[in-house]
Amino acid sequence: MLDFAQVVLDGLLFGATYALIGIGFTLVFGVMHKLNLSYAAASIGGAYCGLLVLQVMAGAPAWLVFLCGFLAGGVLGYVVYLACFHFIPFSSPLATLMSTVGMLLLIDEIIVHATEGRPLNYPAMFDDVMLRAGELSLRGDLLLVFAVAVLCMAALLLVLYKTKLGIATRAVSQQPMAAQLCGIRIGRVNALTFVVTGLLGGIAGALIGASVGTLSPLLTLPLTVKGLIVTVIGGLGSIPGAIIAGLLVGGFENVFQLYRGVTERDLYVMLLLFVFLVFRPGGIFSPQSGRH
Amino acid sequence: MKKLALAVSLALAASGGALAQEKTIQVTGFGAKTGVIRLFGINSEAAMLAAAEVINKQGGVKLADGSKAKIAVEFLDDRCNAEEGISVIRRIYSSDAMVAVGPTCSNVAEPLYGILQKKVDDKGDSGLQMPVFTDVAIKGGLAKISEWSFRNVPSEWIMYSSLYYWLSTKHPQFKTVYGGVEEDFAHSRASWYSVMKDRAQANGYTVVGESKWLLNDSNFSTQVREMKKANADILSIAAHPFTTCGLLKEMKRQGYKPKLLVGLTSTSSLEVMQGCPKDVEGMIIPTSFAPVNKEAKFAAAATAKYKGSADLHSMAAWENMFILKQVMEAEGISGDKKQVQADRRKIRDGLAKLKTTQGLLGVSKRTDDREADKPYLFVHASKGEWKVLHNPL
Repeated sequence: MLDFAQVVLDGLLFGATYALIGIGFTLVFGVMHKLNLSYAAASIGGAYCGLLVLQVMAGAPAWLVFLCGFLAGGVLGYVVYLACFHFIPFSSPLATLMSTVGMLLLIDEIIVHATEGRPLNYPAMFDDVMLRAGELSLRGDLLLVFAVAVLCMAALLLVLYKTKLGIATRAVSQQPMAAQLCGIRIGRVNALTFVVTGLLGGIAGALIGASVGTLSPLLTLPLTVKGLIVTVIGGLGSIPGAIIAGLLVGGFENVFQLYRGVTERDLYVMLLLFVFLVFRPGGIFSPQSGRH
Repeated sequence: MKKLALAVSLALAASGGALAQEKTIQVTGFGAKTGVIRLFGINSEAAMLAAAEVINKQGGVKLADGSKAKIAVEFLDDRCNAEEGISVIRRIYSSDAMVAVGPTCSNVAEPLYGILQKKVDDKGDSGLQMPVFTDVAIKGGLAKISEWSFRNVPSEWIMYSSLYYWLSTKHPQFKTVYGGVEEDFAHSRASWYSVMKDRAQANGYTVVGESKWLLNDSNFSTQVREMKKANADILSIAAHPFTTCGLLKEMKRQGYKPKLLVGLTSTSSLEVMQGCPKDVEGMIIPTSFAPVNKEAKFAAAATAKYKGSADLHSMAAWENMFILKQVMEAEGISGDKKQVQADRRKIRDGLAKLKTTQGLLGVSKRTDDREADKPYLFVHASKGEWKVLHNPL
């Protein structure tokens, strides 16, 4: 029983990394009704850029690396917007989707070429902190990831509901034509959405690098898949849903691994996705709907 | 003035003619140059180019007619993908290349050897008649697939036998081994299940369990808890650098430190030292290369000039080039592009005849199934470097 509890706890905490990626996916989808499949790769790309601080300033503190990753993520977000969305007509949804697949592979390969595919040591914060609750233990660095995910959610909700940018974003999301007629510059709102999600991705990438302890291009594809699963389970466009789904997927993943082994683990995670698609296609935060 | 111009023209024409007549021997390397194991291809290519430069500076390869030919190296990317590997070997076969050196990955080598002619002179077998001299793909026993396939990779079976034997004599108080294996990677799986586990048991250790993970995994909390619970004396990890580092970092977080740590042959490289230099401290690995003598240091320095790093894999590529030079000269190849298939056959036969080869750490024995029995030593991670711990030979 103790093993089970610990495994669930570990999984829930690690699921916070999935939640961070899920938030980015869901935000872009919520605003533009488009999937940006290069999001996880750009996030990891931002984290790699953070490591450049160590090239310039050996022994730089972890927070400075994270900050650089955060800013680089924003820049990458804008680059992704320009390359994959700005010049491609929205009337062709498949074109933007495929362009983000291309961007995913491009970023991945740039990372591989820049690093020769070597895993790179990534600085961490609170990695030596292990909180104890009786026989159970909680990783300090993953608690930080969880806290950042919750903070990001709060900040994003604040931006969306309490600022002019948020109002414009929601307007574009709900009625783009009407928003445009009201004088809202759709292109600018979309670009800003990408910058905001890019900033979030940069910090997500840095925290994931820190929680794994190592950065590798091997991270991009699994994170993309997990991010998409989290987005679908949480409900496309739902930020709280992405967090809950991230934790859920992390927890389930670990439980399946404990009972069915690592080779079957992902099989059950995919089954979980299908269960949601069939019985609750709108995700956790949507009214119940079935196959009518 | 006209006479001078005529003389210059004649001289240029003469030198041009001489250049045109200079023969080259094409040796084509292939391996992974994209993806996360791109470094393997880069290192092999650098080692091959560096070795070719040394050979060419010494005059090149002596041909059957007594003339000399320079070695030209080309390197193709197979992306560590079986289908692309097969496509690459077909491309090499249709070129003027005398011999192919590669591939990086065992999952490429296995099907690729399968499309070569199984038995020489078998008229009913339309498989490719192309000598392939492998430098990196290390999964045991592959060369027996075709009589055209040869390998100069160390025998993990022998190295781990020797390592566990040495550990059992040096630390007789240690009795148990626990395994950690990257379950979805051919080399890691084969190394743990067919080599490390078996050799540990053969040397009197009790294998008390094993934890598994996948190549792309980033969360090792469950596996480390299993390891902690088993509390074995020795932890043997059969995984590549990314997950090895991830696991070692999780071990540190959970405060788990086995008495001894044994790693996979391929891990004794720069990658682990960049990924987790502190966490890997103390890990012991058997390897067929370390810059321990003048020749090995020279090879490492020459490879570094081509931006490659010297390790057990890339230095096998270096050795292959010198072995091939020796074989080409002994068999008297023509170097004539029109007789490329005959020369390939001579190279194959020459490689098959070898009983020993000279390597950077000493003499390697050649086995009947076209594999190598290479000299090796044990290294351990110490202060961010791989240092020689013991030379069992």
